[in-house]
Amino acid sequence: MPMIDLKGLRFHYQQRGRGPDVILIHAVTSNLSVWLFGSLMDVLAGDFRVTAYDLRGHGASDAPVSNYTSADMADDLQKLHSALKLGPALLVGHSFGGVIAMHAALLHADMVRGIILSDPFFPGLAHLEPNLADMANWRVVRDALVEAGANLGRGLDFARLFEVVAALSPQQKERFSQKMGEPSLRWLSQLPRLASTSCGRDVFAPAGLTAEQLRQVRQPVVALYDEHTSFQATREFLATNLKNVCVEIVPGAQHVAPLQNTDAFVHLVQKHCRALNEAL
Amino acid sequence: MMSPTRERILDDVRNLLRDFNGKEYSGDIGTETLLFGDIGLVSIDAVILAEALEQLYERQFPFSMFLAEIGREGLGDIRLGRLVAFLHDQITVGSSKD
Repeated sequence: MPMIDLKGLRFHYQQRGRGPDVILIHAVTSNLSVWLFGSLMDVLAGDFRVTAYDLRGHGASDAPVSNYTSADMADDLQKLHSALKLGPALLVGHSFGGVIAMHAALLHADMVRGIILSDPFFPGLAHLEPNLADMANWRVVRDALVEAGANLGRGLDFARLFEVVAALSPQQKERFSQKMGEPSLRWLSQLPRLASTSCGRDVFAPAGLTAEQLRQVRQPVVALYDEHTSFQATREFLATNLKNVCVEIVPGAQHVAPLQNTDAFVHLVQKHCRALNEAL
Repeated sequence: MMSPTRERILDDVRNLLRDFNGKEYSGDIGTETLLFGDIGLVSIDAVILAEALEQLYERQFPFSMFLAEIGREGLGDIRLGRLVAFLHDQITVGSSKD
């Protein structure tokens, strides 16, 4: 398995193709398989050298106890970029992966040529999204856990989610699976490892990526928002405040476009990667 | 060099899965075995298995196309026989180009 040591932490990564660099950044509680199950990696590899990696605490990468903010993870990305000797890259980030991409564009501007976001929520724009706990995907997970006899509480709280999942009995997991389907158990099984880390709290910290900082991003940004996104106010903020931005809608998707409408998502990312590459 | 037969590929995959990424599986492993449902792999395990197979056969396979096809067909799991057939086709095509 391809692993790289970045100042004491080991990261799992994959590379495909040749050409200008594209880096794929997955969401919190996900891993790099999302790019393989959705075929994006092989499709982009026709035009680009594509690098995908597991964030700290995710997939097959190491899980340190702390430092899971978008600033920390943008630093991980910079170290990976440097260690693999990549050129200035297009970043594709799903959900929190998009937050990391934007933070990297500010903190390590030279390595970022352009950014494609997929339905991110920014902790620094939390004031625009007062009803986060009503987010549809979260409600579905919360309700399924309640039916399994576990209580997540009222707020959107990843730290609590990780702790609750770590404490689930086999019977509760079975009830959760009956409600959510078999694949949900595979997702669930990755979460207990994060219960002993600060990930759940850190990913909701603005970590310096404020509204004012987001306005300073100079690189071109393509903001792909899902048709049924919970983050319409964030989408509007980006559309009106970024210097160089294009917004497109992924039909039929609700925060997980890479898996919910794979064909449309892959088509849009490929189209915009090609366009950004030609324009830059 | 001769391409491995499907039986040989099945044996190779079986050997990899016997003690894989911290998961020991003692049941029978055959073409009908499901990677997730029977062996208990999770998504990242499937990626690591793919990497192990690429290392074993010293070539890259378009796994993302394979997995996307599985997804498009609405299959929530991967039957081992399907994986073996995919590997066999890829190796055979690759060998005929050599």
